[in-house]
Amino acid sequence: MRKILCLAGIITGVYFYTKLTKEKKRFIKEILRQVPYLIPRYFA
Amino acid sequence: MSDYDVIVIGAGCGGLSAGSQLARKGFKTLVIEQSDMVGGCCSTFEAQGYRFDLGASLIEDVEVINWCFERLGTTIYDEVELVECDPIYSVILKDGTRLTYPLSSEHTAREIGQIAPGDVMGWLKYGAYMQGFMDAALDGFFLAPGNTLVDMIKMFAKTPALLKYGPLFISSYQDIIEKYFKDPRIRESIGYQSFFGGLPPELCPGYIAMIPWSEHAGIYYSKGGMIGIPDALKRLGEKSGMQLKLNTEVKRLIVSNGRAAGVELQDGTEVTSDLVISDINAKTLYLDLIGEEHLPWLARIGIKSYEYSMATPMLYLGIDYEPPLAGHHTITTLPMDELNDFWWKDYKQGRFPVEQYSIISWSSGSSSGMAPDGHHVIVITLAPGAYRLEGKTWDQIKPELTQNIIDHLSKRCIPGLKDHVKYADFASPPDFEKRLKSPEGAIYALRQDLPSSLVFRPATRSKSIKKLYLVGASTHPGGGVPTTIASGMIAVDLIDKYE
Repeated sequence: MRKILCLAGIITGVYFYTKLTKEKKRFIKEILRQVPYLIPRYFA
Repeated sequence: MSDYDVIVIGAGCGGLSAGSQLARKGFKTLVIEQSDMVGGCCSTFEAQGYRFDLGASLIEDVEVINWCFERLGTTIYDEVELVECDPIYSVILKDGTRLTYPLSSEHTAREIGQIAPGDVMGWLKYGAYMQGFMDAALDGFFLAPGNTLVDMIKMFAKTPALLKYGPLFISSYQDIIEKYFKDPRIRESIGYQSFFGGLPPELCPGYIAMIPWSEHAGIYYSKGGMIGIPDALKRLGEKSGMQLKLNTEVKRLIVSNGRAAGVELQDGTEVTSDLVISDINAKTLYLDLIGEEHLPWLARIGIKSYEYSMATPMLYLGIDYEPPLAGHHTITTLPMDELNDFWWKDYKQGRFPVEQYSIISWSSGSSSGMAPDGHHVIVITLAPGAYRLEGKTWDQIKPELTQNIIDHLSKRCIPGLKDHVKYADFASPPDFEKRLKSPEGAIYALRQDLPSSLVFRPATRSKSIKKLYLVGASTHPGGGVPTTIASGMIAVDLIDKYE
């Protein structure tokens, strides 16, 4: 059940992402690109 | 016993804000500045009888700056002769359409109505929304420390109205503008202001979209040049005993047992202090002046991960005629999509096209004494310029680029300009790096998108080195004259609380 919900969540996310404009995609990509640094930056 | 209570590295607006306030509180304060003048990017220099503003060409959110002057026992209106700029801008769109945005928001609605009647309602709705955000931000954002999550929670608890404006923090500048305005010309006329946040419309955080509205609360020029503001802070600080050393470069920050204990100057002299305040780029501070070995591993990764903000090449022109300009600021701009394309296809690839966005500041039109009789001064802030160009250096392209830009502006918006230039100086990103010691010529120190803002920007009260505080564009609330002055106030509040 958990796996199905997880898969459904990913499919929904991908569906909505593909519907976004290219500008919005780049905005999100730029934020996602920096996500790994958020915790280190919090301690900077 | 230390030589000083506080040493401030850098006499930019943030450093002078903190230094002057602490001196007034009785701290024995020394401000050390590597260049021969104060103000950093908000400064004015003289060449061949012309006075040019180095970077900043106006101020807004003057109330925030005034809070600092009130802490110094006066007001900005008593210390700096401010000239109100009306119209705010004259904007020239790519197709040649001209829009003039007057200071009055009602008159602006009328101006918008002449071009796009359907967007008048959008302007009114946008204005009402942004006014609410501005009131909340003035109340809860500018002087709130952004050091920890607890600070953030306190900020929203103190000003719950900020929560209502959450969408501004998760949307882009372009999203907000497109939400309220439908006509491409109106969108184009306010799209370029995303660069005031250091990013193109599609990447810039939505809260920067407050600027086209907040400007209507008043934008000002400091008579005699923008250096008037930092000069006033310097004067007030010195009146309280603050000492200032110009032309003095700091080589190293002395760290003893994890605490900042003073600085070593380039000539080897050591000056000790109980507290150190840094008004320089945070990456330079932590990686060059302090050294990685003093940083916890997580902080080291964090500091290295920051990207520098954009640099903006500038062209300073002394001319022997009155330029046919409508006001202090004229903007030549492009549709938002082209500004975005410029970012990816030119700026990121190290190219610098001639036909692009620019802000033309006619400072001698607002203030006498900026040029010899019969002469004028215009300063052109160009679009973001890459630090490294593709295949050439800035020095190689400067002469031709200067001439091409003058020719382009003569054709597009300042007829006759090319025949009246008596002095021209082009400042490239490497020039700014050399002059201001700002890495890559970055004007806002570090990039200012959401993952580099608030608690994710280098902390005002250092989390790695005790007794070290940060002010200026590197720390919360970010780059700009009011914000860096606010950063000085935040640092002083934190020193009051913790030291």
